[in-house]
Amino acid sequence: MAKSLQRTKRIHDWVAYGVAIFFLFFGLAPIVWLIITSFKSEGEIVNTVLTYYPHNPIATNYVDIWRQSAFPTLMMNSLQTTIMTVVICVTVGTLASYSFSQYRFPGKYALLLFYLVVRMFPAVLMIIPLFLIMRFFGLLDTSLGLALAYTSFLLPLFIWMMKGFFDALPPDLEKAARIDGCTRIGALVRVILPLVRNGLAATAIFVAIASWNEYLFALMLTTSSGSRTWPVGLQLMIGEFQLPWGLLAAGGVISIIPVVILFALVQQTMVRGLTSGAVKG
Amino acid sequence: MAVQAEMPRRPRSAAGLDLLRPGQWLGWVSEHRYWAYFLIIPSILFIFAIIIYPTANGIILSFREMRLTRPDLGTGFIGLRHYADMLDDPVFWVALINTLKWVVMSVTLEFALGLAAALALNRDLPGIRLISVLILLPWFLPNVVAGNIWALMLDPRLGVLNDIFIKLGFLSEGKAWFADPDTALLIAVIVEGWHGYPFFALLFLAALKGIPKDLYKAAAVDGAGTLQAFWQITLPGLKMIIVAVVILRVIGLVNSPELLLILTGGGPGNATQVLSLYAFHSAYLLFDFGYAGALSVVMFVILMVFCVIYLRVSRLTAD
Repeated sequence: MAKSLQRTKRIHDWVAYGVAIFFLFFGLAPIVWLIITSFKSEGEIVNTVLTYYPHNPIATNYVDIWRQSAFPTLMMNSLQTTIMTVVICVTVGTLASYSFSQYRFPGKYALLLFYLVVRMFPAVLMIIPLFLIMRFFGLLDTSLGLALAYTSFLLPLFIWMMKGFFDALPPDLEKAARIDGCTRIGALVRVILPLVRNGLAATAIFVAIASWNEYLFALMLTTSSGSRTWPVGLQLMIGEFQLPWGLLAAGGVISIIPVVILFALVQQTMVRGLTSGAVKG
Repeated sequence: MAVQAEMPRRPRSAAGLDLLRPGQWLGWVSEHRYWAYFLIIPSILFIFAIIIYPTANGIILSFREMRLTRPDLGTGFIGLRHYADMLDDPVFWVALINTLKWVVMSVTLEFALGLAAALALNRDLPGIRLISVLILLPWFLPNVVAGNIWALMLDPRLGVLNDIFIKLGFLSEGKAWFADPDTALLIAVIVEGWHGYPFFALLFLAALKGIPKDLYKAAAVDGAGTLQAFWQITLPGLKMIIVAVVILRVIGLVNSPELLLILTGGGPGNATQVLSLYAFHSAYLLFDFGYAGALSVVMFVILMVFCVIYLRVSRLTAD
């Protein structure tokens, strides 16, 4: 009995390895292909015989997209929008999620549910009036306007994720700090925030990645190179100038590097934050 | 003494607080009995200004004429005309059917891939932890990059996948997958599956880790086989998360036209036209804001009805 159980377990382990490696390949092969393409010359890419690795690896695609296109400007615009989005979400969202997590007050669960439901509102329905509102306030085609638009779907997300990290704190921290003479705000800033800093960083990075990647709002709410973000710029280059694949690949690789680095920095905490809320129900 | 008299008078609140010293008055505010509400107010203001107000406006817009290209038509109320037009609009019906196909196929694929991955990764084997982090990568890629990677791999002339299919003998020449109305939506679903399944895998894996191992041991002692254990222990253990993940993903898939916008733009013909994309096109290309608003309202209502029924049904079966 025990022996056969052991054998079943070993077989299962091998199957599990096989499946895991399949998913690893399935997930990463396209990304690897993007990197390979970015190091090929245009001649090698359009050649009738497909090469599976760059026979004459070159870095000119990277140099060209950086020097000869608006890509650096686009990335700077994206960075600006991302920073603004993160600042808004962190300040406004941290306060709200702290309150939701630590205090009991009438209307709390209705409000929490409300913050969940607003995420259901279709972006397209919001974008049109946002377009008109932003035009009215002169926020159209500005990084701040775009960052405010991003807040519409990222702030509720931030609050829910951050609430999970506050929930995981030991109870009565605030009470203890107040006994030591802190005000409530003092307890939050001096005692509690330092304790959730990993969670805060992970949640902020999650929001940063989402706003760095966003395409739809940016397409609608930016009209000039003054605030256009890189996803829109890259897609427009493909459409309008028939961007060569090598350059496109290089642009893609450059723009996902920050995402990969940021994710790598906080992956453990981020995974915890993403799953804790959902698993608890 | 003289120095003190020359100092500018700072504004003082009724409580005798120094308004120019945030540390002091914030401390006072934080002792107020409504402190919990004070903390939430900024977020409520934001949500109203950037979600509720625009959404309400969008709904109102759907009852009005608003074409940026035809200012002569004015912006008067026209009642339900946009909605009536929709019933006679063949593209609307195509988009509705396509939305259904797009969501059902994508969710099914992501669910299956996510569950398979999670089951495989829920084992204490060397290297598995690293793999379970690496497989998340596609999920963090922007739609613009994810879409174009696949456009590149599926390119009829230069695409590596066409090359592989030819070498394996499945194809005699490169196929333009996104130009063929029969394959465009199906291939888009596969791209979406690649991009979206890690989210399912991530949450399923977390839920699997929450199922006590003793249950499986007890089942084995009682002579239950692997399949039986899966049906009796694993699936019930995943039930809550399945309900939650599926609804989140359905909402995301219905609402966001991003990936299809990048891959196909709704074409060829209207083969991949979905409601969100059609609404977006009506606004962005045709500048018919009123009709676009009506399309999104219909989409939203359908989504709401689905969510309510779905949650009812899943609660019934949970009991």
